Amino acid sequence: MALSETVSPARPWADGAAEPFVRIEKLTKRFAGFPAVDDVSLDIFRGELFCLLGGSGCGKSTLLRMLAGFEQPSAGRIEIDGQDMAGIPPYERPTNMMFQSYALFPHMSVEKNVAYGLRREGMGRAEAMERVGEMLRMVQLEGFAGRKPHQLSGGQRQRVALARSLVKRPKLLLLDEPLGALDKKLREETQFELIGLQESLGVTFVIVTHDQEEAMTLSSRIGVMDAGRIVQVGEPPQVYEHPSTRFVADFVGSVNLFEGRVVEDAPEHIRLASAEAGATLYVGHGVSCVPNQTMWLAVRPEKLRLTRDRPAGRENALLAEVEEVAYMGNLSVFQLRLPTGKRLRASRANVARVDAEAISWDEEVWVSWEDTAAVVLAQ
Amino acid sequence: MRRGIALPVFCALGFLFLYAPILSLVVFSFNESRLVTVWGGFSTRWDGELFRDPQILGAAWISLQVAVISATIAVILGTLAAYVLSRFGRFRSRALLTGMATAPLVMPEVITGLSLLLLFVSMESLIGWPAGRGMTTIVIAHVTFGLAYVAVVVQSRLAGLDISLEEAAMDLGARPVRVFFDITLPVIAPALVAGWLLAFTLSLDDLVVASFVTGPGASTLPMVIFSKVRLGVSPDVNALATIVIAVVALGVGIAVWQLRKGTGND
Amino acid sequence: MSGRWLVIAVPFVWLLVFFLVPFLVVAKISVSDAAIAMPPYTPILDWEGLRATLTLSFGNYAYLWEDALYATAYWFSLKVAFVSAAVALVIGYPMAYFIARSPEPKRTLYLTLVILPFWTSFLLRVYAWQGFLRSNGVINNFLLWTGVIDQPLVMLQTDFAVYLGIVYTYLPFMILPLYANLAKLDESLLEASADLGGRPLATFFHVTLPLSAPGVIAGFMLVFVPAIGEFVIPELLGGPGTLMIGKVLWNEFFQNRDWPVASAVATVMLLVLVVPIMLLRLAQARAEAE
Repeated sequence: MALSETVSPARPWADGAAEPFVRIEKLTKRFAGFPAVDDVSLDIFRGELFCLLGGSGCGKSTLLRMLAGFEQPSAGRIEIDGQDMAGIPPYERPTNMMFQSYALFPHMSVEKNVAYGLRREGMGRAEAMERVGEMLRMVQLEGFAGRKPHQLSGGQRQRVALARSLVKRPKLLLLDEPLGALDKKLREETQFELIGLQESLGVTFVIVTHDQEEAMTLSSRIGVMDAGRIVQVGEPPQVYEHPSTRFVADFVGSVNLFEGRVVEDAPEHIRLASAEAGATLYVGHGVSCVPNQTMWLAVRPEKLRLTRDRPAGRENALLAEVEEVAYMGNLSVFQLRLPTGKRLRASRANVARVDAEAISWDEEVWVSWEDTAAVVLAQ
Repeated sequence: MRRGIALPVFCALGFLFLYAPILSLVVFSFNESRLVTVWGGFSTRWDGELFRDPQILGAAWISLQVAVISATIAVILGTLAAYVLSRFGRFRSRALLTGMATAPLVMPEVITGLSLLLLFVSMESLIGWPAGRGMTTIVIAHVTFGLAYVAVVVQSRLAGLDISLEEAAMDLGARPVRVFFDITLPVIAPALVAGWLLAFTLSLDDLVVASFVTGPGASTLPMVIFSKVRLGVSPDVNALATIVIAVVALGVGIAVWQLRKGTGND
Repeated sequence: MSGRWLVIAVPFVWLLVFFLVPFLVVAKISVSDAAIAMPPYTPILDWEGLRATLTLSFGNYAYLWEDALYATAYWFSLKVAFVSAAVALVIGYPMAYFIARSPEPKRTLYLTLVILPFWTSFLLRVYAWQGFLRSNGVINNFLLWTGVIDQPLVMLQTDFAVYLGIVYTYLPFMILPLYANLAKLDESLLEASADLGGRPLATFFHVTLPLSAPGVIAGFMLVFVPAIGEFVIPELLGGPGTLMIGKVLWNEFFQNRDWPVASAVATVMLLVLVVPIMLLRLAQARAEAE
């Protein structure tokens, strides 16, 4: 069930009539018989900031490299802006790539690096240098034009790589773990700059990352990948609050999973008998299922409420012991243990500076959540 | 781990072993006495005599020309071979090319020399070229084993080169040939210089192969030295040795400087 | 992508014509007979109008087989090459190890010192050993002067001088591949061994040595194989009794002017060498796969 079904120019994927900018159809890539990318079909729309999210070995980098032209597909096709990319080498594609290692040419200055692509197009020196200057201003590196890569810091090199890949105004920009090498603070700042750049230039971005926080912050839509396949595609809230599988639920953020059997199936609610929870759990919305089907209830840590007394008016309330408390500054994360032995994770924003009533180790608390706060997963 | 003294001492002796003959050559080239291994006083007389010997000068000139030409051609061919073997992935007869490019490194010189000479003779009787043997045939022979050495040096440098540099260039619109000249070549340049110097030295130093494949009138410096040395120790050879050592030391110094520049950059 | 084929073709064709084909020519001439002609061998294919007669004369090989000189020379060459390579390994391994464990500025210095002699004239260095080893040479003069001996030692024109010369000349070829391998050795492996209770000697035998095996093989082959066919060193430092196969080939060619026999000697040498060369390639391929 989509959170919002409003059709708007900012959300072309929701409009059934919109033409995708990039069409990936049944794309497969095999290395020595092993499918690194397995029958992937995906549509990406113009102006999107699309993130391919997954762990190492899931095939996201291979998929990106096929878009760039560095790998040839074993099967399937790629279409960019209506043009079939079969057999087209990287230097003839309307794509540009920002490499994970930045790949700055060590023997050329920043200026020459950024101008390289323009010169290959046949642009004259004067015009190229003007465009380069403009681009360097955009990434806040004016004055660095004459420096060589080894004279720059990591963050500066990243901007040069970005400038170099954007200066040609490609139709599609491919970014391979663009923020991976930066420290946390720099990463946060750069994330917003990246979004700003993308919006002002109107370039379609495809980003590959393993960092789900990054994917959630940057993207218009996320494609979650596992073992060469796309498991779910959706806007960040969609993927976070309505994961389609346990894998997605667990990969994007943390989640508490209860395995259970369907014991009551009604149009407006269902109940799951869960041995793990030691109780029957209530779900306040209809779920397509059959009686006795094994399903999983997924509830996020921040949706769990911890109270000392049994909360009134809540169908789902379990007694648990607080095993660990991790204080993270803005959040507190609690690890709880149910009598059945199952462990749960709950998190809570620290809204008060000083909380004399704060829940602590070894306390017995009631864990509860709203009837509609959980999602039921069939796989 | 405690650093013992045995290892450094052993190594010092090893280095001494490597350098003893060289040092003695240098010392005795400045020896006044004709009895080469008996010290008779400091003198540069033999250096002077050396420069007046037309046979040695002529041979040195030929050796120099051959070395420069064959080193240059060897670098071109060796770099191509190294690039192909490093970057071209799998292709038909790749194993054969690999084998042919590395075998000269271990092949005994007498075999290389004999086989090339027999080839030249057969070619001459079949198609008329090469007409007689001389500088051309020596150059061909030296290029053949020189390129194997260049290929090793360049291949090792290419292996350390981040391939995403070349991919980035292609991504920005450069065709493969352009990528090679704009990106690959400048970055591996120090290895090319080292390879050239290596091929140059090997050519200058070669005796056996040149003896087989040369013809009348084309005597190389090692051939002249060999004939003198066969007869016994001689003082002008000592003088020559000093000069050679000085020149080579300079060459190696340049090569090392270039290689360090290369590794400092990326 | 025909451009690719052109790039492959250039070095490939050169090597094919000037490296591989010559071996075929050698094999061909080894089955012809010597002749007083220029070139001094008979053609193996005789044309009479449209009739061709192929004459393969294996007499040269029979000749090698019958005359004990050749078999002796082959065995001697293998023995000398093997022993020299082994000695070079014993001397070279500690040196390579030392250089690989040295801190940076010194390391490049040591490497340069190892490489430098290699780049000075090989001929001149062998010549220098002549000066060292002769009866009134440096070593003998020194020993006589200090009174350690009263008769000069005969060191030149002996087997000993040949072993010495080969070890000396090929030592850098042993040190460099060993160094390349040892330099890549992960220091933390040695630390892990120590942490688990391994004393320095145990760490060396159980960790360092096995991991340096590819370097040892490469170095050994780079010395052993070319040394078999060595000519200059036995010629200048050896005596009439030190007959190595390289010298035999040279003499057959330049003195006896018997090209077919020289070719036969070369062909047999090549066959004997094929096995070690294959081993080297296997070791290289395994090293590349790591």
